[in-house]
Amino acid sequence: MSDESNADNYYRLMSRIRVIFENGEPERVIEFDPAQAPFQHDGQPGSILDVLLGNGIWLEHACGGNCACTTCHVIVKRGFDTLGEASEQEEDLLDKAPGLTPSSRLGCQAVIDDPAAELVVVIPRYTINQAAERPER
Amino acid sequence: MPDNVVQRGARRVYQGVIEHVTAHNADTRSLLIRVPEVNEFHFVPGQFISVAIPIDERRETRAYSLALSPQDGQPLEICLNLIAEGVGSHYLFGLGPGAPLSFTGPFGLFTLEHPREYETVFVAEGTAIAPIRAMIRHALGTSGHPPLTLLYTAADQAHLLYRAEFETLASQHPNFRFEQRVSASGRLSALLDEIEARYVRADAGRERHFYVCGVGNDVLRVRDLLRAAGYARRAVEYERW
Ligand SMILES: Cc1cc2nc3c(=O)[nH]c(=O)nc-3n(C[C@H](O)[C@H](O)[C@H](O)COP(=O)(O)OP(=O)(O)OC[C@H]3O[C@@H](n4cnc5c(N)ncnc54)[C@H](O)[C@@H]3O)c2cc1C
Ligand code: FES
Repeated sequence: MSDESNADNYYRLMSRIRVIFENGEPERVIEFDPAQAPFQHDGQPGSILDVLLGNGIWLEHACGGNCACTTCHVIVKRGFDTLGEASEQEEDLLDKAPGLTPSSRLGCQAVIDDPAAELVVVIPRYTINQAAERPER
Repeated sequence: MPDNVVQRGARRVYQGVIEHVTAHNADTRSLLIRVPEVNEFHFVPGQFISVAIPIDERRETRAYSLALSPQDGQPLEICLNLIAEGVGSHYLFGLGPGAPLSFTGPFGLFTLEHPREYETVFVAEGTAIAPIRAMIRHALGTSGHPPLTLLYTAADQAHLLYRAEFETLASQHPNFRFEQRVSASGRLSALLDEIEARYVRADAGRERHFYVCGVGNDVLRVRDLLRAAGYARRAVEYERW
C-alpha cells in the first residue's frame, strides 16, 4: 500500500462527536480515531465516556463506568445506529432509571463501533439522582 | 426543579471524617465515616457513594456501597477489601481515624426501599455483602416483611463478613434464614449449582425476588440462570463490581 492511501485511510477513519451541553456551555466537536481506544481508564474502551474524558470533556461517571448508576446518561441525537448494541445490563439499568428518552444511552457503555461515525450527543442539564441530596430539613 | 435532580456540575461534595476503622480480616476493613455537615445522610439501602481518591493530579473516584441502613444513622459505613495494585483500595487502607474523606452521592438503582411481597433471596460473595447488609438490616426493621434468605459465600470463615451479626439476626427473626457457604473460590460461581437446585428445580414457583451482588461475570451467570428459568426480569436485580 502506498503512503498516499495510508494517509487517505487515516483521514477516513476519523470519527467525530459533536457535544451539546444542555446547560448552555459552548458546544464542542471532537475528532478521534476509534482504533486508538481506550483514551483513559473508566468505562468501556471506545465508549462515549471514554472518548469524552480522553478529550478533556467532563461527563459524570459516579460508578466509575461500571454500569451501576446512570450519571453518565447522554441523549444521542444523531448516529444512534453507529453505536454498539446495549447489553442486557445496560438495558436493565435504563429500564429502572426515571426520565430517560428512547435515544438515551449510558455514556460508559455506548461504544462507538463505526470507524467513521458522526455523532451528535446531548449532555443533559440535570442528572437524575435517585434518592437524595435533598436539602437538610 | 424537583428535588431528585441535580444540575450538571452542581453535585454536592460531602467532606466526611473517618471516625473509626474496623479490621474484619487481614485484607478487609470497614471505615466508619462521620459527615459533620449534615444531621442525616439520606439514601436508599443498597446505594453507594463515590469516594475521591486523590492520586497525582487526576480526579479519580471509586464506588463504595453503604453497608449500614439509613435507619442506623451516622457514622456511615463502607466496607472494602485490598486489591493487589489497586490504587483506590490502597489509598483507603492508608487512612486512619481523623482522616478526611470527600465523596458524592448517594447513587445506584440496586436498592431495596420497600420489602417485596414475595420471598426475597439475597446472593452475595465476600465484600459484596455490603449493599445487601444494608438491605437486610432495613427490611428486618419493617413490619410484615416477606421471608428473607441470605445465601452468602466466601473463601473462608474470616471472609464471611458480619457472620455473627447475621447469625444473631436469624435467631431473632424466624422469617430470615442465613445460609453461609465456605467455598474454594469464594465466588458466586460456587453457588450456581445450589441456586439451580433450590430455586429452579425444587419447585415451579417463580414468585421470588432476587438481589445478587459480586465481582465480574459470575453475577451475570446467576442472573442468566434465574431469568432463563422463568423468573421475571425485574425480579432478578443485580450489581456487578
Ligand atoms: C456500584 C459499585 C459499588 C461498589 N462497592 C464496593 C464496596 O462496597 N466495597 C468494595 O470493596 N468495593 C466496591 N466496589 C469496587 C470499588 O469501586 C473498586 O473497584 C475496588 O475497591 C477496587 O479499586 P482499586 O482502585 O483498589 O483497584 P482497581 O485497580 O481499580 O480494580 C481492579 C479490578 O478489581 C475488581 N474488583 C472491584 N472490586 C473488587 C473487590 N471488592 N474484590 C475483588 N476484585 C474487585 C474490578 O473488576 C477491577 O477491575 C464497588 C463497585 C461498584 C461499581
Ligand atoms: S458511569 Fe455509572 S452507569 Fe455509566
